[in-house]
Amino acid sequence: MQPLLEVRGLALRYPSGTQALIDVSIAVPAGELLVVLGGNGCGKTTLLRCITRTLTPTAGEVWLNGGDIAHLTGERLRQARLDVALIWQHAALVRRRSVLANVACGALGRHQTLLTALGLLPSIEMQAAADYLHQVGLSHLAKQRAGTLSGGQAQRVAIARALAQRPSVVLADEPVASLDPEAAQEIMRLLRRLAHQEGLGVLCVLHQVDLAFAYADRVVGLRSGRVAFDQPTSGLSQDAVRQLYLAEAA
Amino acid sequence: MSTTQLTAVRPWGGGLAIALRTVGFLFGLLVLIQSLIVVQARPQDLVSGFHGMVDIVSRSMPPDFAYLPEAAWPALETIDIGLFGTIAGICLALPLAVLAASNVTPSRVLYYLSRALIGFTRAVPDLVWALLFVTAVGLGPFPGGLALAVHSVGMLGRLFAETIENMDMAPVDALALTGANRMQVFTHGVVPSVLPALAGIGLYRLDENIRSSLVLGFVGAGGIGFQLLTAMNLFQYQDVSLLLIIVFVIVFAAERLSAICRERLA
Repeated sequence: MQPLLEVRGLALRYPSGTQALIDVSIAVPAGELLVVLGGNGCGKTTLLRCITRTLTPTAGEVWLNGGDIAHLTGERLRQARLDVALIWQHAALVRRRSVLANVACGALGRHQTLLTALGLLPSIEMQAAADYLHQVGLSHLAKQRAGTLSGGQAQRVAIARALAQRPSVVLADEPVASLDPEAAQEIMRLLRRLAHQEGLGVLCVLHQVDLAFAYADRVVGLRSGRVAFDQPTSGLSQDAVRQLYLAEAA
Repeated sequence: MSTTQLTAVRPWGGGLAIALRTVGFLFGLLVLIQSLIVVQARPQDLVSGFHGMVDIVSRSMPPDFAYLPEAAWPALETIDIGLFGTIAGICLALPLAVLAASNVTPSRVLYYLSRALIGFTRAVPDLVWALLFVTAVGLGPFPGGLALAVHSVGMLGRLFAETIENMDMAPVDALALTGANRMQVFTHGVVPSVLPALAGIGLYRLDENIRSSLVLGFVGAGGIGFQLLTAMNLFQYQDVSLLLIIVFVIVFAAERLSAICRERLA
């Protein structure tokens, strides 16, 4: 089956000369939760930034829905981005708006009207937004200000906002980094459900090896900007993962 | 360890510190003395002139409350000059602040141009603006309102721009990545985040503008200041004292109201 997202031979060299990514190739098929592991500075976040195209890769391709987006700009890039949702390490909600409004904001890209440009929310999206909020189990907080939520709740709202975007691929950049273990498990369960039940392709960058083993379908190890391994969780040894962090310490 | 090091260093550092402090103190004293010389401070004049002040105060008592109906209109004019100046100032300052905030400005050229414009309106005092506008549109409250509007742009524009620059950019970046266009990112991400702070700054400016509009009357730009000047020139001190009471009430009420509104916003 054609993967939803595929990066081929991706390379990125920062202007400072640091080679952050070297020949990285990863495919994310529909219905799979793929976790990327690796030590600090191994290129995980750079990889996500190349896929969302806040960075332009120096070489390689980023295939999304049958098109290469690695060198798109302007309006065509904006269109392409509609299909990829990013969940940030910190939920990045607009704190003074209601939870429901934050979720509905995810749909703005599909409603480019004068009214939405003036700050109104697309009214036909409000029911869908309420449904997504229900999916993450926070319907009762719809009217509350986003700034009043706990870290775990905010991250669930961020997931609902990502869903409101109706993407085919969801990226997550260390989404549980600032959460307690209980909330972290909840977020990982949600991400796995998006892959298995909604059929989305989910690529999640993590620091927690135990969560990767517990929830991922497949794990990619990054070491010094290269893919060290790429295999199903069932066949993955603890030792291979440990090597990722040892190599960094050495 | 570190404590023994500290005590070992102290005799040296202690002597140096005392010397530095003495030099600092003497320097401060010099600055103070030169200012007393430059302003020609003569406390004895204040003492000898005291009876003159008492005379004026006694002649201004009691305040002439019969003058109240006549003073009501200029008082309202003063408040409205402040209101007009603030609202017009906000309308002018907002677009300039967006251009002058480094994190959202659409171009570097516009950034420097708007910064320069904001700086210029602040550098020219409101009294000078009032004189300019009196020349342009004639005597009355309108030039006063215009002067306050233009001068407010300086302070409002700079504070608005700083508020936008200091905002948390994560929600803005997140919205941009959902595929929302620039305008949507601005109205849905930037505006709700900074609006309460901007409203607070605007209210603070309103309080300040009402106080400034009292003085603008002195140069013929309408309001109660003009009344005050006329009454003083005609030696009608009982009218002066009534006008000062009105001024006090207006200033105090504006300050309290603005403070209460700002507390509500926080």
